[in-house]
Amino acid sequence: MKSFGAGVMSNSIPEIRDLDFMFVIGSNTTEAHPIIAMEMKVARQRGARLIVADPRKIWLTEYADLHLQLKPGTDVWLVNAMMKAIIDEGLVDQKFIDTHTEGWPELKANLAKFNLTDAERITGVPAAHIKAAAVEYAKTRKAAIYYTLGITEHAHGTDNIFSLANLVMMTGHLGVPFGGLNSLRGQNNVQGATDAGATPLYYTGFQPAGDPAIRAKFEAAWKTELTAGVGKNLNEIMKGVEDGSVKALYVMGEDILISEPNTNHLEHGVKELEFLIHQDIFMNETTKHAHVVFPGANFAEKDGVFTNTDRRVQRVRKAVNPPGNARPDWQILADFARAAGYAMPHYKDAGEIYAEIASLAPRYAGISHDRLDETPMGIQWPCPAPDHPGTQYMHKDGPVKGKGTFIVTNFRPPVELPDKDYPFNLATGRVLYHYNAGTQTRRDSGTMAKVGECFIEVHAEDAKQLGVNDGDMVKVVSRRGGIKAKVWVSGRVQKGCVWMPLHFTEAAINKLTIDVGDPLAGTAEYKVCAVNLIPLRERAAAQAEAELQAVRHPQA
Amino acid sequence: MIDHFTITVDGKPVAAKPGETVVRACEREGIHIPTLCDDKRLDPAGACRACLVEVDGQRRLQPSCAWKATPGQVVKTHVTSPRVQRHQDVLVSLYMADHKLDAEGLPVETENRNELRRWALDTNPIALESVEAPRVARAGDTNPYIQYNPELCILCARCTRYCDEIEAVNAITLTHRGSETTIGTAGMRGLLETSCELCGGCIDTCPTGALIEKKAIGILPQQIERKVRTTCNYCGVGCQMDLNVAKVDGVEKVVRVTSPPPGETVNDGNLCIKGRFAYDFIHHKDRITEPMIRKADGKLHAVSWDEALKFAAEGMKRVAQRHGPESMGFISSARCTGEENFLMSKVARAAFKSGNVHSCAAT
Repeated sequence: MKSFGAGVMSNSIPEIRDLDFMFVIGSNTTEAHPIIAMEMKVARQRGARLIVADPRKIWLTEYADLHLQLKPGTDVWLVNAMMKAIIDEGLVDQKFIDTHTEGWPELKANLAKFNLTDAERITGVPAAHIKAAAVEYAKTRKAAIYYTLGITEHAHGTDNIFSLANLVMMTGHLGVPFGGLNSLRGQNNVQGATDAGATPLYYTGFQPAGDPAIRAKFEAAWKTELTAGVGKNLNEIMKGVEDGSVKALYVMGEDILISEPNTNHLEHGVKELEFLIHQDIFMNETTKHAHVVFPGANFAEKDGVFTNTDRRVQRVRKAVNPPGNARPDWQILADFARAAGYAMPHYKDAGEIYAEIASLAPRYAGISHDRLDETPMGIQWPCPAPDHPGTQYMHKDGPVKGKGTFIVTNFRPPVELPDKDYPFNLATGRVLYHYNAGTQTRRDSGTMAKVGECFIEVHAEDAKQLGVNDGDMVKVVSRRGGIKAKVWVSGRVQKGCVWMPLHFTEAAINKLTIDVGDPLAGTAEYKVCAVNLIPLRERAAAQAEAELQAVRHPQA
Repeated sequence: MIDHFTITVDGKPVAAKPGETVVRACEREGIHIPTLCDDKRLDPAGACRACLVEVDGQRRLQPSCAWKATPGQVVKTHVTSPRVQRHQDVLVSLYMADHKLDAEGLPVETENRNELRRWALDTNPIALESVEAPRVARAGDTNPYIQYNPELCILCARCTRYCDEIEAVNAITLTHRGSETTIGTAGMRGLLETSCELCGGCIDTCPTGALIEKKAIGILPQQIERKVRTTCNYCGVGCQMDLNVAKVDGVEKVVRVTSPPPGETVNDGNLCIKGRFAYDFIHHKDRITEPMIRKADGKLHAVSWDEALKFAAEGMKRVAQRHGPESMGFISSARCTGEENFLMSKVARAAFKSGNVHSCAAT
């Protein structure tokens, strides 16, 4: 990350219960990271203070001392106003700024315009609350910030993160235990996938793909010539599929037609692909267009490692055999590479592959399967040597990139704002009871008993104006498509805002969302788009219900 | 501030930390004191009286789960104190009088575990007449995961305290009075109609198997062939869990997921509904079991691995030759292991000279 070098959780999960102050922004922690939320609740019961900033009254706000219910997409304003308040109260950590950072004068000058009065008008959060949150954060030593996709899944996602990084550095909450800036990663191995090099920007271990010396190192290890420079990121690859410049895809363990934004457009491109390999454990929308389907193994059927959100490398161990002729995915990939003519080594197990990773990436050099087997708590990278204990919190001796950089951020409104035709602001997210496209959790009775179908949270006044009641069916339409959902009149959303979960295939929410990406990260704006709600008349509602039932219970 | 001092337990020196309870200090030294209501994640309740010990200078026996160690303290457990032994023999008998017993008169084996059974084997219980308490379960609780068996409940309140202190949803509580006291909910509603998030922490902490997993009813601990410690495959917290493997119709299957002991792992023995219960997908009938290729009829057909790999390699190479590596995309997965993501990047970069590799990590 550009601010202080590493877009990961700087600190550790076990530190949470001993914190004195937690600022949670854009993270529905109780539902997306339930066990981290448990630690937060334990801290709260111990007397720690909790402030939550989120457009919705999420579950965690019930435990919070203060809820900053900002308008969607106004995070930059909120955080910049907090910084301005900290400067005005004389609470900056000048020593940290002088020793460890650069760019402070520019940031300070830019912050002048973010006054509390305008902040209240734009974010909708009372000025006194913004100030109180800022002052308490700045004054408390054991104070940490947690964020997740509510911050990143915007067209201005990196601006949001830079703003938070500025806030952390100006108050000196970096490089200390019980502090830091903590990105809660959403998926089991989302950190590990990037760590391992499944990113166009880096080779394994965050070694820049554009660096000729790094490329030379990998060419020597992999005994082949490699292409210079960085490749396309996911958003660009998907754009390429849509415009026809990408002709072949190898997709492992993802249903791109459910998970990617604006799927209507993408589906057309996927149909036109000259070749598509899909490797997964269940058939899904993407499989329908595949030329080859490889049956993979799930986590209970193979060995390897996952890296969690606090950089903790932990073992995945095989408990049972994959069904039929399904195989561990690492075997499939190695076999495929050999079939394609590349001399991939004949790895005898996943441990051998990890040894290759450790030999190429200094930050994992001290980690091995054998060592992990003796370490029930896992090992947190960086871990450069076999006798290194791993790293509980980062930036101990100043930011890892040398000097932390304050990056000036300014407010840019969301790409698509509500208007006359599409008057509601739609945000998407997760519920506790399901996971992503629901391929796993929708095959379990209890998770379905808790939340069994797609719903849309609507504010009571909006529902009244639309003439819909709790349980009515509506069609949700954006400029890109439409889906049906059941209305849940909810006190959680603000007036003018609606919210839907992303787990239900038949309601494929990403038919609505925008595929405009953040210019730096390529992350799509899943969090804000404009929609309209059209109540379905009785017969139409009955038909929609029948369709839903048919998808859910295909045999019936 | 001193960080360590010594107490004496059964004549042996034991190191303790300031503020630490006697039972925690003993645990570290491997000295076993029986407990029922103790869970190191919870505040001490001192409710079950199983852990009483003699403390020098104290007239009464004291609960070692709540009694703080102080420098020089002299403690006697059942190993050296006949008084504690007598206390345990009587107490275990009282618990057994209000518990389901097997043919040998011992507390029954349960799907979960039964610490009362273990304790009964370590003591000399006196046969007392069964009291058959009128404790009831919630009638008509249709939740699919959590079963409450009132005849096995000893009212230690570990489940309700866990629900309050750790999960913090307060869905279950001790309710009713006297001998009718039971584990209830507001209005004795089913768990699906309460604030319960079905995390199953109550099952994990229950010492006597009064709370068990509905999906694993009938699977006793001795049927479990092995427990495999692994990392949960749902969110990014990285909870450690134990996959319990047993033979079902001759095939080894994951039949249950249990927590590692508290204090050992990053999740401190806690799991959520998805980690603990949503494992049906592992052996689901919809799993893809054969490699398939799309043939001239436009349909997918099951083929051998050799054929599928050859077909796939040729298909990708054809596109690479015709349109160049820029026309390829390799989408890896945050659901797969680090090793697999590494190999996907190697396939893209080394086998196809393409830098277009990314995982859903971006989103």
